[in-house]
Amino acid sequence: MKRKLTKDEPRTPTRKRTRASAPDEEEENGVIPAVETPSRRTRGQHSLSEDIRHEKVNGVKDSVLNGVNEHGTPKSLRKVLFSTPTKPRDEESANGTPTIVRNADRSARRKSTRRLIERTINGDESDEGEDEEALVEQILGEEGEDEEERDGLEDIDQEGEPAPETPSKRGRGRPKTKPRKQHSPTPPQNLPAHEEYFWQNRPGGTKTSNNIMSSRILLAYDEYRDAIKAYKDPHAAEEEFLLELHSRSFDQWIFELQEGFNICLYGYGSKRPLTKMFAAHLYEHLSNKPPYSTSKQKPKIVIINGFWRGIRSFITIKDILTTVASSVFPPNTKFSSQPATLLTSILTYLNENPPPRPLPIILNSIDFPALRRSPIPSILAQLSAHSSINLICTADTPNFPLLWDLGQRAQFRFLFHDATTFAPYDAEIDVVDSVNQLLGRSGMKLSGRDGVSHVLRSLPVNARLVFRILVTEQLALFAIDGTADSGADEGEEPDFATTATPRHETNPASRKGESTAAIGVDYYGAYRKAVEELACTSEVGFRQLLKEFFDHQMIESRKDVAGKERLLVPFRREELEEMKNELTNEEDF
Amino acid sequence: MEQKCYIYSPDDSDERASKRRRIACAAGWSLREQLYGEFWAPLEHRIQTQSTLEEADSTTLEKIIKFVSGAVVAPDRQEAVIPTGLILAGSSIASHRSFFDRLGRKIVLDTGSTFVLLTSGECLNLKALVKSLIKKLTSRVGGNDDEEDEEDEEDENHTGNVSRIGPKLRDYDLVRLQEWYSKTKVDSIVVAIQDSEAFDFSVLAEMAELLSSWMDRLPFLLLFGIATSSESFQSNLSGAALRLLKGEEFNVTQADDIFEKIFCTTVGSPEVSLYLGPDLSRRLVDRQKDHVQSVQDFSDAVKYAYMCHFYANPLSVFLSQSLAFGEMPHDVWEATRNLPSFRRWVNTLLEDGRAKEVRRLLESDRYLYDNIKHHIASGQTAMFKLVSATSVLAAIRVIVQKVPHVPRSSLYIRSTSGELNGSPLIREMLLMLSKVSSDTFSSVLTSMELLQNSYVPIDIAVYRRELDALIKRNPNSTPLRSQHDVKNNSLRTTIVAQKVQLSKHKSTLSELDSSYSELVRRFHDDVENYFEETLIDPRDLFLSEILLYDLKSPLSEVFAPKPRFAIERALSSPHDYLGCDCCSSSEGALSGTQPVTAILYQLYLESGSIINVNDLWMAFHAIIGEENDESESNAMALFEQALANLKFLGLVKESKRKADHISKTTWKGL
Repeated sequence: MKRKLTKDEPRTPTRKRTRASAPDEEEENGVIPAVETPSRRTRGQHSLSEDIRHEKVNGVKDSVLNGVNEHGTPKSLRKVLFSTPTKPRDEESANGTPTIVRNADRSARRKSTRRLIERTINGDESDEGEDEEALVEQILGEEGEDEEERDGLEDIDQEGEPAPETPSKRGRGRPKTKPRKQHSPTPPQNLPAHEEYFWQNRPGGTKTSNNIMSSRILLAYDEYRDAIKAYKDPHAAEEEFLLELHSRSFDQWIFELQEGFNICLYGYGSKRPLTKMFAAHLYEHLSNKPPYSTSKQKPKIVIINGFWRGIRSFITIKDILTTVASSVFPPNTKFSSQPATLLTSILTYLNENPPPRPLPIILNSIDFPALRRSPIPSILAQLSAHSSINLICTADTPNFPLLWDLGQRAQFRFLFHDATTFAPYDAEIDVVDSVNQLLGRSGMKLSGRDGVSHVLRSLPVNARLVFRILVTEQLALFAIDGTADSGADEGEEPDFATTATPRHETNPASRKGESTAAIGVDYYGAYRKAVEELACTSEVGFRQLLKEFFDHQMIESRKDVAGKERLLVPFRREELEEMKNELTNEEDF
Repeated sequence: MEQKCYIYSPDDSDERASKRRRIACAAGWSLREQLYGEFWAPLEHRIQTQSTLEEADSTTLEKIIKFVSGAVVAPDRQEAVIPTGLILAGSSIASHRSFFDRLGRKIVLDTGSTFVLLTSGECLNLKALVKSLIKKLTSRVGGNDDEEDEEDEEDENHTGNVSRIGPKLRDYDLVRLQEWYSKTKVDSIVVAIQDSEAFDFSVLAEMAELLSSWMDRLPFLLLFGIATSSESFQSNLSGAALRLLKGEEFNVTQADDIFEKIFCTTVGSPEVSLYLGPDLSRRLVDRQKDHVQSVQDFSDAVKYAYMCHFYANPLSVFLSQSLAFGEMPHDVWEATRNLPSFRRWVNTLLEDGRAKEVRRLLESDRYLYDNIKHHIASGQTAMFKLVSATSVLAAIRVIVQKVPHVPRSSLYIRSTSGELNGSPLIREMLLMLSKVSSDTFSSVLTSMELLQNSYVPIDIAVYRRELDALIKRNPNSTPLRSQHDVKNNSLRTTIVAQKVQLSKHKSTLSELDSSYSELVRRFHDDVENYFEETLIDPRDLFLSEILLYDLKSPLSEVFAPKPRFAIERALSSPHDYLGCDCCSSSEGALSGTQPVTAILYQLYLESGSIINVNDLWMAFHAIIGEENDESESNAMALFEQALANLKFLGLVKESKRKADHISKTTWKGL
């Protein structure tokens, strides 16, 4: 149970006013009484008594106070209606209701009141969000949020706080404790790591604004490419120096490889340039050693890019093993395509015909998702455990050692070296793709809505019809979401699930963290609609129509919790609406 | 776009490679590389021979094998009790597998039994257990023979399946096993459960029941690997199942003990030529005990220490016995004069007023060379004596009873850090030594005789002769006692003038006893002097940097990296790595000059568990915009790049909770 006390310092609201806009404070002030705890009543706040009596008489305390002290906008009235009952004080219980009775219904009332308040505050925040300055601050832990967040921790301490002097200046009914005053961009400074974790994960701790990234601002492929090309890295010289620093260890690495260890490089930045340089160095080193120095034979160094990405494929263990096999086996040997058998044949061949020098394999990004799946690490471990194989690999993620169990780790015989380069992950990441994916806009692949309409134009009428049905249905779902979210007024997003309020009960969907619209349209529902509208006659036909959309990644297929198939048009609501308009307009003509 | 996999060809970046050619370390290194080979090879050999651990737990293996072959009874017996071996293999699960593998090989080799190893992973329920049991056994006999058999069987089943065996057998029917058994006629079928604690105990009980019901047809024998204790194992099994088992307990040498042995014979042995220092050894031992527990890892770590010493320390060339003055690289002399131990040494020389010598040391490389040679030799002897003393100490402590056991590795660590001289450990041991009776004394002498390759200046043989003579003269069978032994004293209570007086009286010592006491006292003094002389602090030696390798730095990072810390550091204070002028001013604070990913990462650190991307972008843009007047799309490109980097590093992932939000997955420093 949260107990909130008002204990005011005249300074704070003033300070606040400089930062937040006036109406905000208005609202905040209006809100205060609701948050107050009964405990306050017992403390005779004589300095307040005058005001309080005044309130009593008027019935609407804060609005009046506000009116007196500040702007007195009627806006605050709205909330105050609900907050009144929680306020009355024992000393002057004018309404004559027995305390017990009031106590009994207080909790329920307070609940509903608080819900309202929370809504209001959140609403405010989203308003604030339009202001850029405020936004920046908000991210840095703006005070408005700050205070919100602190509530939970502070209101316990507040019991003992001295009484406020003027209720009129209450800033959100939250008393200030010492640390509060020293405002800093980050809420609590210098917390130990675990405390910070709990701090940031506390219930209700994650209040973020509802701002949405405008699609226009995100870059398309070519825009990104141009922009990055134009960008000059101010640290290029330092990065070059880092690279040079690492390259001084090349001889050491060669010595380590020679002694039967394998090498794993980690640290921030792409290590591809480094391994490339190392390959060159190693090549030269090997060329000067027998048997390469005495014969025409050239040293072989296998280079594998674990991050390799095809159109819709990634590198496979088969690719790796075949490349290794091609450099191990004499030319024109036929080998199995089965990874396990290929591995054993490589190992037995190496056992029987050990090469004069171990074969170096340079593997970039050993921890790339495509190489994490089950048999691959163990195959790589077995391969590198062989004394005729030298593995030099790089790992990018911070927790990569967890990929291997004790046995594999022993097989790898890794020596780890920190090779932080700060080099951009040019080849490793497709920036635009991965940002779009991160923001749930896989539809952006088509360079957005325009691309979609381009595709649609080239499709037959019934295909367009089907797409319109999907879009409409999904928009309907958005609408349902909107209303299902109790009182999600002012177009608020359906989920503030994290605020730890009674709102949890009202919207299970948001509690799960996923709105129905995000799951998509029921497949059979959509099919039936399509049949009704004569877009197709059979399911096969429907599938065929959908296939085109799948190919262009205009829709996605998912399974919901019950295992039913759902179709999702991966665009945001506004874009969907525009598409729908476009499609209906087309039909009209 | 990069290629997927390819074979490197040099023309890629040829000129770059040649630019990187370095000549600096070339001269000394080839010498040192050779030295490294000379030093490491014998040690590696020793670790390897020692780590054929068979030696370490051979007695247990013998016992188990005896049990297995002893348990074989006539196959037609009627009793339903399964002979069971409870193998207490200790808590280091990592070494269980290798133990059971060795056990299996030995059982198959030495007895007429077959051996199946079952692990919890393949035996989730009874059916799976029996299935894998049958599969492992029937495929064992090996070769084509078996396959043919199976095919025969298949054929039989196919053609006349009703005639002989009835319907086709399920692959978990023990009748299959019986058929196989009738063909092979092994003495017994040893079923080993490697990790009994990981099994569902009801499965084990069911298994016991099933196997015992087949005991009249199939001679089963069970071996349970137990990591906890036999009591807890018993309490987990039901009474009914326990009644079917007839158990015997075996204790396996623990991994700790094995490691201790290997440590003594390798690093802690007096004969090695490069000694590992106390800090490093402590780290190695701790790591071995806490984390890895494998001999291979230990060997790797020691090897890497050797590699580091010879690769990174140019002065390690002095360890070579054969190198003449002229063959030395040129830079070593100046380097030697900068050694802390050289300065220490020179200071003591100056205090002794030998300034002339010092001058010569500073001026003449030749003179320095001679001195180094001399000191390397004397230092090596001192180290040899020190480590020998440690092994003498350990040997005596084992025999002299009543002293707490201190592992040999810890004795080594203490001795190399110079803590041992005059320590309670020594005093205690000397005290006990003065009290030993003649039989213990005799075994002390024996154990000291057995210490090979150690420096023991005490003439054991003399003591042995004298002791033998004394014992010969001893008429009764009780061992001779030393006069310091408390047992020889008796307390007498006398009442003198109404006061109780406690007085100690030496019980009368026989003439023999007193001459024995004299002998022990002499030995005690000898040992005391010996320890006094040998237990020095090796770090005070001149050239201790060369004789002793004690750097923890490359070793710990190379074997136990902290990649997460490295990445977090790179991103939160990039200046640490880049060392640039622009970012250094803002210590730990954001500045627009930092690499973009670092900026975004620090914003990320400040936010809560879910982050609004748009707000993040605003904040980012504000910071970036401050410094470099970027256009929005350029800033956006950087933002996207930074965001994609964070995603690639696994620091953020998409969140479905709210639109345009991402969720934070890591917290710095956790």
